Amino acid sequence: MFWFAVGFAVLTVPVAAIPVRSAHTEAELISEVRSVQPGRPFWVALRLKMDPEWHTYWLNPGDSGTATTLQWQQPAGIQAGPLRWPYPQRIAAPPLASYGYEGTVYLLSEIQAPADLKPGAKLALRAKAEWLECKVECLPGAGTVALELPVQAEATAPSVHADAIAAARGRLPVTIADWKLRAAVQEGQLILRATRPEWFAGEIGPVTFFPEQDLLIEPAAPQVLEVRPDGFLLKLKRSAVSTATPERIAGVLVAPAGWRGAGSEQALSVRVALEPVAAVLSAGAPDLAGLLVAVGFAFLGGMILNLMPCVLPVLSIKVLGFVQEARTGHAWRYGLAFTAGVLASFWLLAGGLLLLRAGGEQLGWGFQLQSPPFLVILCAVLFLFGLNLFGIFEVGTSLTRLGGAGPAGGLGGSFFSGVLATTVATPCTAPFMGSALGYALTQPVWAALLVFTALGLGMASPYLLLSLSPALLRFVPKPGAWMETFKQAMGFLLMGTVVWLGWVLGLQAGVSALAALLAALVVLGAAAWALGKWGHMAAPAPTRLTARVLAALGIVGALGVALVGVEQQSAASSGPTQATATPSEGIRWEAFSPQRVAALRAAGTPVFIDFTAAWCLSCQVNERVAFSSPQVREAFARGGFVMLKADWTKRDAAIAQALAQFGRSGVPLYVLYGPTAGAPPRILPEVLTPDIIVKALQELS
Amino acid sequence: MKRKAFVMAALSLALVAANVSTVQADALVGQPAPSFTAADTNGKSHALTDFKGKYVVLEWTNYDCPFVVKQYSTQAMQEMQKMAAGKGVVWLSVNSSAAGKQGNYPAEKWNTLVKEKGAAPKAILLDGDGKIGQLYGAKTTPHMYIINPEGKLIYNGAIDDKPTTDAATKPQTNYVAAALTEAMAGKPVTVATTRPYGCSVKY
Repeated sequence: MFWFAVGFAVLTVPVAAIPVRSAHTEAELISEVRSVQPGRPFWVALRLKMDPEWHTYWLNPGDSGTATTLQWQQPAGIQAGPLRWPYPQRIAAPPLASYGYEGTVYLLSEIQAPADLKPGAKLALRAKAEWLECKVECLPGAGTVALELPVQAEATAPSVHADAIAAARGRLPVTIADWKLRAAVQEGQLILRATRPEWFAGEIGPVTFFPEQDLLIEPAAPQVLEVRPDGFLLKLKRSAVSTATPERIAGVLVAPAGWRGAGSEQALSVRVALEPVAAVLSAGAPDLAGLLVAVGFAFLGGMILNLMPCVLPVLSIKVLGFVQEARTGHAWRYGLAFTAGVLASFWLLAGGLLLLRAGGEQLGWGFQLQSPPFLVILCAVLFLFGLNLFGIFEVGTSLTRLGGAGPAGGLGGSFFSGVLATTVATPCTAPFMGSALGYALTQPVWAALLVFTALGLGMASPYLLLSLSPALLRFVPKPGAWMETFKQAMGFLLMGTVVWLGWVLGLQAGVSALAALLAALVVLGAAAWALGKWGHMAAPAPTRLTARVLAALGIVGALGVALVGVEQQSAASSGPTQATATPSEGIRWEAFSPQRVAALRAAGTPVFIDFTAAWCLSCQVNERVAFSSPQVREAFARGGFVMLKADWTKRDAAIAQALAQFGRSGVPLYVLYGPTAGAPPRILPEVLTPDIIVKALQELS
Repeated sequence: MKRKAFVMAALSLALVAANVSTVQADALVGQPAPSFTAADTNGKSHALTDFKGKYVVLEWTNYDCPFVVKQYSTQAMQEMQKMAAGKGVVWLSVNSSAAGKQGNYPAEKWNTLVKEKGAAPKAILLDGDGKIGQLYGAKTTPHMYIINPEGKLIYNGAIDDKPTTDAATKPQTNYVAAALTEAMAGKPVTVATTRPYGCSVKY
């Protein structure tokens, strides 16, 4: 202080700055050092002292206000660094919020003194400052702030402001590379994920994100912190009017507890590129409790899956198989083979899903049914299987073991029926399964595989149990002539499944594709018939060979032609499917879009969303059972509900994203939004009855 | 076992539901503009639907906000209002200041102020309970919206690209004028959403 005063006297110019005052703010340019050393950088600050209750703004002012600006007007050779902003506070004025400062703030800048400064001379700094000061009402403030510092050859000494400027520097955001930050945008949300460094032992307390970008998040919306063992997730509401999704996220994460531990830096700089949601959510280890619940749900869901309409046709075949094998005393081997078939198919499914997910695809349970070629192959397999049940041909041991050959072929047959059961099960989502699968798809690969395994085990468990405890086989009927009749009857069930899958194909790829499929089935039928008539073991060898070659050619040719035809047709028809709207007549369905939901919610209109697909048999059953009921129609009409249909028959990224938002990976999903703005939606069960819907609607109103 | 599973299922569903973000009332570009009815300073009632078939500009205003003061002292706002009127655009100024807060005046005072400033809106709508403001998500004064003849919102945001109260700073682009010009020429609006700047709306 003494030296300061002497310098003042000797130079006879004001070394200290002259403060500028607006109505409620005092502005002053201050320096961290008392003198300048040529070639050395030093810090200065625009200090704004606001009257009590008044505030000025951060670089992003939030909902209202304007950032303070500083325009340097100084001689050439002096380089001033950009304005550096200490982290702000959130200033709430419901329903709005701003980012700014109350009390005193130091907006920092680093000045590079030229190397050719002459000791004994003065360095003059001048800048025009403009700010907006607000309490409730706002006033502009402006003034030219100036500072003169003596130039000395010796090292500089700290000024009276040194401590305050150092403290302000401590509020600047820092980069701590050990903290792994990732970001993703999910419908309506920005998700920031932070993985803690190994050395961090502190508390993850409250965390606030301040975005540097305009229209990134809603400043006034609550920020939801989810602490995880390896860090945390921060969920932020996207700006309600944001139109574009940025490539990168920039801002500051503020934790009063400190990012290196107690008393350390509180502001962490965020500069990250956006990633796919699944990638960000799946980072790190899953929490054990969540995984256990998902595994348990998956097992239960798998068990219930056996009762869903998709699996029923195959279920009966399995029962037949058991009747057959039960007496051989080796039932457990068939049970295991069946389980292996189920598990292998579930792993294949999971592998495909996870691989495609890694490639950034928006997929979910039943995704393979969104592919027309897959439908063609599935139809062909089921059709041939049905013909086999009718007895048109016998493949003996190669397909399934229903005819009653040796146990060796039976094992392969059991495995295959496990595969078939899984394949036809995918159009269904059983209760408990939806949330388990939705969870699995956001987890690391091993955890996802664990959930899929539990699902498969759950589905196979009744048969495994039956095969492992011979005592239970007492309840299985004895084999006899009835089995032949039953077998043939089951053939019709399979033909029914083929018809349904053909309908799905027709919706996806059009009537020409359906015709191609039907033609292929005719050829397949002829091939199977030829095989049955001339290809059996009793026929002479040349006849048998000819029949088998012809049948093989027929099958391959028919499938090939059908696949090519369907591929061309589905490329031609790219519009949304319409047919799922037909079953529930009397309800006026609108097409789902996230924007439509947002608009309706904004207007306080109750909304019902039906996530469905033509290939989802549970959905079709629900629609016929529940939505066609007059009392349900009436209840929806009375509540003034707008009915939205999200038809997932074909691939649709927006619907897949919306499903993911509800933690699901497949259909059906039924979502009810009541008239209360801001209230969370209600999710109806996977299996609907008119009563469930009517009751849910009553509870909402 | 089953009961427990049910409880867990319900819990997990509740968790899922709680995570789902709720949608706030806001006007989105490309969507139908929220409809409203409000009284003006002459006691006349206006509904948005009255102006179907015309372009409508909504200007959130508060004559005591320095940002609004700048727009009127430089005549920028009045010129836009007159230009718009000349092209058949309906210009509605909306005041959402709550009773007792800055910018909330009795109707007669509004009429005097409008005359003094030479402002030329079709009407000043009084939204003292903030209903229209919150319906549109109006955040600042000024905050500008443009609705096309089909009733769709085609602009939401700032008035121009210079967020300052300094009357000497001339904007390079007036977003509202640019959007109106483009839309009336049958072109899509290039800049359709911006961050509005100014004083907070005094809800």
